[in-house]
This record gives sequence, C-alpha cells and structure tokens, in this order.
Amino acid sequence: MLKKEKLKYPFYVLFHPFDGFYEIRHREKGSVLVALLMVFLFGLSFSINRRYAGFVVNFVNPRSVDTRSEVLGIFAAVFLFACSNWSVTCLMEGEGRFKDILTVIGYSLLPMVLTLIPATVLSWFIASNEEGLYYLVINAAAIFTVILMVIGIMTVHNYSFGKTLITLFISFIALLIIIFIILLLVYLLQQVYMFFYSLYTEIILKL
Amino acid sequence: MKRRSLWLFIVILIMLLNCTPVSAVSRVPYHTYNYDYWEYIYYTPAAYIPAGNVSGTNTGVGAFSNPQDIFTAEDGKIYVADTGNNRIVVLNPDMKSGRVIDSFENNGKQDTFKSPHGVYVTSDNKVYIADTENFRVVVLNEDGSLDRIISNPTSEVLAEDFVFSPLKVVADYAERVYVVAKNMFQGIMAFDENGNFTGFIGTINVTITTYEKIWRRLSTKTQREKQIQFIPTEFTGLDIDEDGFVYATNIDAKGKQSVRKLNPKGQDVIKKSKRSVSGEVPLSGDLYWRMQGDYSGASRIVDVVYRGNGIYSILDINRGRIFTYDDEGNLLYIFGGRGSQEGTFKNPAAIEAVGDKILVLDAYRGEIMTFSATRYGNLINKAVSLRYDGDEASAVELWKQVLELDSNFELAYIGIGKSYLAAGDNRKAMEYFRLGMDREYYSIAYKRYRDDILEDNLGYILTAVVVLAAIRIAVSRLRKVSAVKAGRRPAACLRRRS
Repeated sequence: MLKKEKLKYPFYVLFHPFDGFYEIRHREKGSVLVALLMVFLFGLSFSINRRYAGFVVNFVNPRSVDTRSEVLGIFAAVFLFACSNWSVTCLMEGEGRFKDILTVIGYSLLPMVLTLIPATVLSWFIASNEEGLYYLVINAAAIFTVILMVIGIMTVHNYSFGKTLITLFISFIALLIIIFIILLLVYLLQQVYMFFYSLYTEIILKL
Repeated sequence: MKRRSLWLFIVILIMLLNCTPVSAVSRVPYHTYNYDYWEYIYYTPAAYIPAGNVSGTNTGVGAFSNPQDIFTAEDGKIYVADTGNNRIVVLNPDMKSGRVIDSFENNGKQDTFKSPHGVYVTSDNKVYIADTENFRVVVLNEDGSLDRIISNPTSEVLAEDFVFSPLKVVADYAERVYVVAKNMFQGIMAFDENGNFTGFIGTINVTITTYEKIWRRLSTKTQREKQIQFIPTEFTGLDIDEDGFVYATNIDAKGKQSVRKLNPKGQDVIKKSKRSVSGEVPLSGDLYWRMQGDYSGASRIVDVVYRGNGIYSILDINRGRIFTYDDEGNLLYIFGGRGSQEGTFKNPAAIEAVGDKILVLDAYRGEIMTFSATRYGNLINKAVSLRYDGDEASAVELWKQVLELDSNFELAYIGIGKSYLAAGDNRKAMEYFRLGMDREYYSIAYKRYRDDILEDNLGYILTAVVVLAAIRIAVSRLRKVSAVKAGRRPAACLRRRS
C-alpha cells in the first residue's frame, strides 16, 4: 500500500524543505498516511521519553504516564490545529488543501521522532551537571520541527513569511474558538439528552 | 439436627478466626501521613499515639479556663498559662500534682495577673509571663519574687496610641526578650536585658499580586475602603532554641510559609526543602485542602515547638494536625485531627514537647493532650538526630528499621544511600538515591560508578580502538590493491578525466 519512495520522502523534506513541501502540494509526493504514521510515532516516542528518560532529567511521575491517552491526545491536537489552520487559510487565499496541511504537520515532526528515543537512551548515561547535552538535543529537534512547520505552511499556501506568522497566530485563536464551540455543543447535547431522559422517566413512572 | 449444629460451630469458628485482636495503633483516632516527592499523600504507621489527657481537676489545681499557653521547663515542670482563671499553673513532671502562681509582691503590694496569654521559663527557672490585659510582661524569680516588669515600650517607630498587649513571650540566654503583641503587624518586639524596646525582628513583607493591583486600581475610593487591608499577618506562636534562634509561626492564608527561624539580627534563616517535584516544600502544613465548608483553607499554624536536634513541630488549628519537620525542612510525619475523641482537639492553642512526648493544650476543653512516640516515630526522631549530629553511619541501622515499617520513607533511602556511597558501593548507592528521589547524590554516585567502569576497562577500550583502526587501514589497503589488480573503473575514471 505504501510505496517505498513515499516512506523515504519525509527524509528528503528534512533537508530540502522548500522543494519538498512544494512538491507535496503540486506533484502529489506526500502521503497523508505517512504523515499520520509520523504523528503516531511521535506520540509513541514522546510517551516513551516521558516514562523511560533517565532519572536525572526525568521529572515526570511514572504514575501519570498513559501512552494511549498521550498518543490520542497528540492526534487530537494535530487534527485540531490542521482544522483551525485550514479554516483560516481558506479565507486568506491559502493554496493548501486540508491534506497538505496534515502532511506538513506530520512530516515536520520527523526530527522529533528521530531524536526522542536516542535522547532517551543518552539520558541514561548522564549525571546532573551534564543534562545540558540532553536538553540541547531535544531543543535542537524541537526548533528544527518548528522551522520545518513554518516553512511547510508557508510553502503549501504560497505565503510570505510575515503572512505565515499572522495566519499561525489567527489559527491559534481559531483553535480556541473550536474548542469553545465543541464544549458548548457537548453541553447543549447533554441538556437535550437530559430533557429526553426526564421525559422518558416521567412517562415510565406515570404509566 | 446434629449436622446443623456442626455447621453452626464451623461458621462461628470462622467468624472467631477473623476477629484478629485490634492493635493499639489501629485505634488511633487520626491518620498519620506524609507527602512523598511527587506530592502524593501516603499513609504511614502512627508516629505518635494518644497517651491520655491531663486536666486541671485531676491534678488538684482546679479546672483550667481557656488556657492559652504551655511551656516545659528544663527541670521537666510544665507551666500552663490558665488565661481565664488569671493564673499560671505549674505541674510537676509526672503531671499528677501542681501548684498555682496567681499573685506576686510588687513594691510591697500584692499584684495579680489579668488574662495572661503566654508563659516562658528560662534555664535558671525565671518565669516570663505575658500579662496581656495588664499590658505588661512580668518576670518572676524561681521563688516567686518579682524580678522585673516590662511595660510601656516607647520608641519613634511605635504609634502614639499603641497599647502593649503581649500574647507570647520568650527570652534568650542573654535575657533579651521577644514578645508577640496583639495588633502588632510590624513583627516580633525585641527588648534588651533592661527591658528597653530595641526594635522589631522578623517583619513579614506584604506581597500584592498583579491581579490585586489591577483590581484595586479599577475600584473606586469607597470600594477600596471596603476591601481588605493589605497588612502583614500577626505572629501566633514562639519558641527559642539553645543557640538563641527564635522559631515563630504566623498565619499564612496562601499556605506557603507559616514558620520562621529568626537569627538574633531578625533575619529568617529557616531551610526549605527542595525535595519535591514542584521545587520547594511549603513550610506551612498541608499541601491540599478543601476550598469551602468545614476544615477548609490552608493550615492555620498557631504554635511551634523546637524539639532539639533541628526538629520542630508546628500545630494547625484548622484541621488539628501536627506537622514535624527536620532541620532541612523535610516533613517527617503528620498526625492529629479535630474531634471529640481522646487524642483529638476542639481548639488546640499551644504545643510543647517533653522527652519523647508531645503535649498539646486544648483551650476549649481546658486539657493537655499527651502523645507518646511509637517505635516508628522514635526511630525517625533518633535517625534524624544522629544525622543532625553528623553521625550518619550509626543512623543507617535506624533507617533500615524505619524502612521495615514504612518502605516509602524517602529520607531513609537517602540516609542508607549515603552510607553506601561512603563505603564505595556506588551501584547500591545509586539504587538507594533513586528510591529516595535525590538527583544530586545520585549523580555523584553515578559519576563514580561510570569512572570505575571506564578505569577497569580502559585496557579493553584502548585495545578495541587500536584493533578497529588497524582493521580499517587493512581493509582500505586491500580494496586499493584489488582495484588496481582488476584494473577496473577507478583507473578508467582517472583516464577519462585527464
């Protein structure tokens, strides 16, 4: 199902982000499936890092780590961000399609996927004043990811750098609005459900 | 019929077997608990158990009325400020009998007390009495004669209409006197040996958050007048250690720090433990509380007792709990509760320690609740004391016994880990420091462990490097040779380029 070149393509994007993301948008080089795989791998390695990072750098209570909810949470966050970004860029003459945005987010997570587990292994061998090395690796990967993501959004929508930052900021606000609407919807549905439930109990008890 | 009675017998037997005798500890009317590194509550064996109540009636001095302070002198006598009866009661160390101080001779006339709230006794048995509604501190000699009176402090920093109503009093070895006075928000009042007011110590700074600042700016003048004033809290309790450091408690609504250790200059030198995932253990009792309803809000600390070897206990009036800390600010154990059973409080007012007993004065009941240390409490006290004296090696045996009773006690793991570290068993030390959640010492142990491994295997590592380098050179030589022999592409390439 997944061709080998599709799987290899994220590595090409890693070092040729402008060309890479351009070809994702215009030459169908990307794959949503591979992007989702990246998100899954990121969630997995994130959780593994939380649980198994060395004692000196690990400030996470092992009792609070839950891989399933962390992976699902990251999927939800990615999906929400893609939705909000898509809904904003649609109105601001962005050229990217929803699947392009999803692909960009997935592919730009590759540096994190590649470094989190090696960094976890590295953290087993460091003492307390050497943790800088570990944080350097993690932070470098995170910065790389952010840069890739900005370039990706910029390229697939054919934006200037300034406009990219503005749309990212607006999509952050849109994200909050989406969350708000979801909560509102859940609450209203609950009310409707409660109404019908009380109707039902009323009828049952009166009969 | 016979069969039925047999069944009945078996059932009764099973029920009887289930009735294991209830141990004394499980009848303790409160939980003993502690907070671990992750700030989770975990329940421990009881550190102190109730050991009977002492009231004024069963010591033969008459019932106490709203007593406010208690102090144990060095000779073991227990002094109670019996506020409602305007007297000081001195109980003998066995707490079965006592005498009353209710008057003294002042310039040839008999003088009495009026609602004394605080009492303190020095090592030479001078009694300091905070005679609140007579607005003075009375100092009596051991024989009951008047030594001196401290009253009417005058200073530029005191307001003209200031009324000196002392609540708590302590004195240090140089007879400097420290007084907590009613409505005095500037700090603890310090007096020199002649009774002259010298200044305030331990002033608590008011912190106003940005949110409060903005809110005040937005409100009108009349609104602002109605709002709560931002004044520092009053001090509530005092104690002093043998080096003259004053331990003072205050009520902290935010639950961050309600106990201070003031050096003679008046600076707070208390140690706060960093052994917590959130960075710093608050020195104010509980970490969690209900937001409203009964027993809600941060712990309201009303008194402190210094118990020697850096250990001190503070008393929370809100939930009736006693929190014990070591010299590094680590919580050792928490126990106590409010209620009407033996061993619980209605309105705890003051705390004292005598030997391995803790005494708590309940103002509402007019009784002294005594608590005696269990094996668990005793082991912790002794181990911490040994550590304080620098004798960590002999503390190890005690820490091991603590762990047998409570395998979650992190300080014990650190104590044992340190001994392994000193003995050079770095691997064991690492394991114990990890269990004790001590990253600093873990790193020390780990570095030594790593260095040892590198040192032991240096020969192998260097050999491996040399061998690898040799193989690499050999392989590249071989390749070149074979390429030249075959006369393949490298040569052809070169030819084409030239």
